[in-house]
Amino acid sequence: MRKTPKQHEITQLLAEWSDGNQSALDDLYPLVYDELHRLARRYMSRERKGHTLQTTALINEAYVRLVDQKNVHWANRSHFFAISAQIMRRILIDHARRHAYAKRGGGAQQVSLDEAAAVASGIGSEMIRLDEALKTLAEMDPRRSQVVELRYFGGLNNEEIAGVLHVSENTVTRDWNMARAWLYQQLTESATN
Amino acid sequence: MTPERWQQISHIFKSAISLDSEARRAYVEEKCGKDESLRSEVEKLIASHQQASDENFIGGDAADAAAVLLSEEFEEHKPTLNKGQEFGSYFILDRLGAGGMGEVYLARDSRLDRTVALKVLSSDVSSDKRRMQRFRQEAKVASSLNQPNILTIFEFGEVDGLTFLATEYIDGETLRDHLRGKRLKLPEILDITIQILAALDAAHEARIVHRDMKPENVMIRRRDHVVKVLDFGLAKLTEKRSALATDRSDLEAATAMKTAPGTLMGTINYMSPEQAQAQTIDQRSDIWSTGVMLYEMVTGAKPFAGPTTGHTLVQIIDKEPQPLPKSAGAPAELQRIILKAMAKSADDRYQTARDMLIDLKNLRRQLEGRSVTTDDTERATDKKRVLVIALVAMAVVTAGIFGFNLWRASRSRGQTLVVPVTTTSAPAPAAAVPARTLTYWMTVQQFRDGKYKDPFTVAGELIFEAGDRVRLNVRSPQAGHLYILSEGPRKGTAVPGFNYLFPSATANKNQSLVDAGKEIRLPEQTWWQFDKDEGVERLWLVFAEDAVSELESAKKFASTKTRGSITDETLNEAIHDLLTTHSATKPEAEKNDEITTVKTTDKILVHPIRLEHH
Repeated sequence: MRKTPKQHEITQLLAEWSDGNQSALDDLYPLVYDELHRLARRYMSRERKGHTLQTTALINEAYVRLVDQKNVHWANRSHFFAISAQIMRRILIDHARRHAYAKRGGGAQQVSLDEAAAVASGIGSEMIRLDEALKTLAEMDPRRSQVVELRYFGGLNNEEIAGVLHVSENTVTRDWNMARAWLYQQLTESATN
Repeated sequence: MTPERWQQISHIFKSAISLDSEARRAYVEEKCGKDESLRSEVEKLIASHQQASDENFIGGDAADAAAVLLSEEFEEHKPTLNKGQEFGSYFILDRLGAGGMGEVYLARDSRLDRTVALKVLSSDVSSDKRRMQRFRQEAKVASSLNQPNILTIFEFGEVDGLTFLATEYIDGETLRDHLRGKRLKLPEILDITIQILAALDAAHEARIVHRDMKPENVMIRRRDHVVKVLDFGLAKLTEKRSALATDRSDLEAATAMKTAPGTLMGTINYMSPEQAQAQTIDQRSDIWSTGVMLYEMVTGAKPFAGPTTGHTLVQIIDKEPQPLPKSAGAPAELQRIILKAMAKSADDRYQTARDMLIDLKNLRRQLEGRSVTTDDTERATDKKRVLVIALVAMAVVTAGIFGFNLWRASRSRGQTLVVPVTTTSAPAPAAAVPARTLTYWMTVQQFRDGKYKDPFTVAGELIFEAGDRVRLNVRSPQAGHLYILSEGPRKGTAVPGFNYLFPSATANKNQSLVDAGKEIRLPEQTWWQFDKDEGVERLWLVFAEDAVSELESAKKFASTKTRGSITDETLNEAIHDLLTTHSATKPEAEKNDEITTVKTTDKILVHPIRLEHH
């Protein structure tokens, strides 16, 4: 694949970010966001029926498209996944919020001809609650929150997560167990209240 | 929670979950010591861990779970209609809202000069021709049932490539909004549920299953609290998109759902177990959903609600609902009815909406009986009498029928009839201003010595003989909607059959609206005549500020074809309910020699005129 200016730029930014340049992230974020959003849109419009959307596939495709693979260090790849997980989380939450807003703002009269919308907004409100619980978790325990983000929103497996976070796979498993149990508790409580 | 506390909990949790349950208990006890709250936190978390792992909580992929959401969001939105815009023969007044199926507008139908709710379906929905066809068919059938609790669909159509349907516009709120932040009282709950079931009963009779009964699909009209069930047939249309299959033919969707563990929760709380398992469903699925709504109205909580779709589905399929809490104050009978409606196996449920409706009505009667005993005695004496259509209702509609049948019958021998008769009315509170006032009198023509004498008017008792004939005159100082029915007996049912007398094609041109001061004469051209049968006949006067939907729906029966008889069982019953409910608040009646005046502070005046002979 021929290297595009964008690829070069992103690869460069990833390297800078890996070297500890935080401002590189600010430049990187919108580029990756656009690509992931575009891909998600394409996936959804292409296969509406019975389709399952996989974040991993999405991020992989974005990675292939955005990053010059010959010149990228392995660690930069994990950084790419980490940032992609974050972005996917934001995309999904943004959509969920917009949807919830549209539902609320829609007025109460005779709007309910929408099974699909109801289901979607249910998922949406659930997502929003999960996102909020995750933020609370991040204040107490940033790493465990990140494990959830990488796994649930980024579609990474434990091995990949271990690589991104520089911890052992066992630690990832333990973090996941604890975080998931706590989130489950939070969501169950808020659902029954 | 402080980060320190969190670390403490997580430290114990991490080791505890690797132990078997006995060792775990000992370990947690040892680690927590006397710190009860710490132990409780840890135990709660361990339990959550177990459940989360059993249910594969967030075990899937967020994007996958949100696929429906994304597809909604990524759809290109159709250009919306604007306020003041013309759309076919409709004039857009306002935008009421939007949903997954499209957008809803308030519009004026310029042809018939009526306000409608206009639902413009999104192209995604309307492009599936086969489904659209089926939806049209079902919705049309449901709407044509003319059941007052089913939202009427006026038109399907297409303008500028946009598919729309125009429906009756209901100024009110959904049951969901109605429930928000408050608990309903039992009589209202029963009233709502009975109306929902009446709608379902009619639809099920016509072999239409709603499939998506939930509080969002039930509207309560502001004016008179009449319940309307929305969107019959629509659920079917949306199944594929929602990935929540309810039909075997939608295996694709079913698979999509099943292969998405960790899918987050949607509005699936009202789904029946058979829907949750993507099995074939029938009308009993709607009964389940109604049971769930009833449960929610009584307790304020949904019987099945987990943190995720999966959790909820499992509960629906396996878990018995919590018994009604004592605080709900529900009678044991109501608990029984709810549990029967929510039996896991469709075979154990109420088999028809009607059965459930009857149980709820009986319950309502029992509850009412406790507070109003006088009515019961009155009712009991009425029942002992044989109700006969002595006064022949259908004569209103055609003079021909009248002239032949009744005439022959009534000639044979003399009889005594007494007209009218309403002395039971209690006076209204002096301070209250009557909202409705209605005056009526009878014109009587006696048949004596083989010929009719001069007619005269009467408000009190009178002795009749065979062949005597009578006519009803009604007038009000106010404009309003007037309906007149007669009540006759029917075999094998507790509810009497009603005959629709006014308005009709020959009386006020089918319009219920009567101008202030206008005198209505019924029958206009002919007379009612008594036959030889003994019994009690009731005429019902209904005079309302606004049109009464049940009675508007029954208009079509005021024809020669049906002889005024309301043959739609559900509608007949709805009218019976309406009449008995409103006549319970007895209007004030004043009588002089010639006229009777009835007044009420209600917006609807319902007044029975009893005619009996001994």
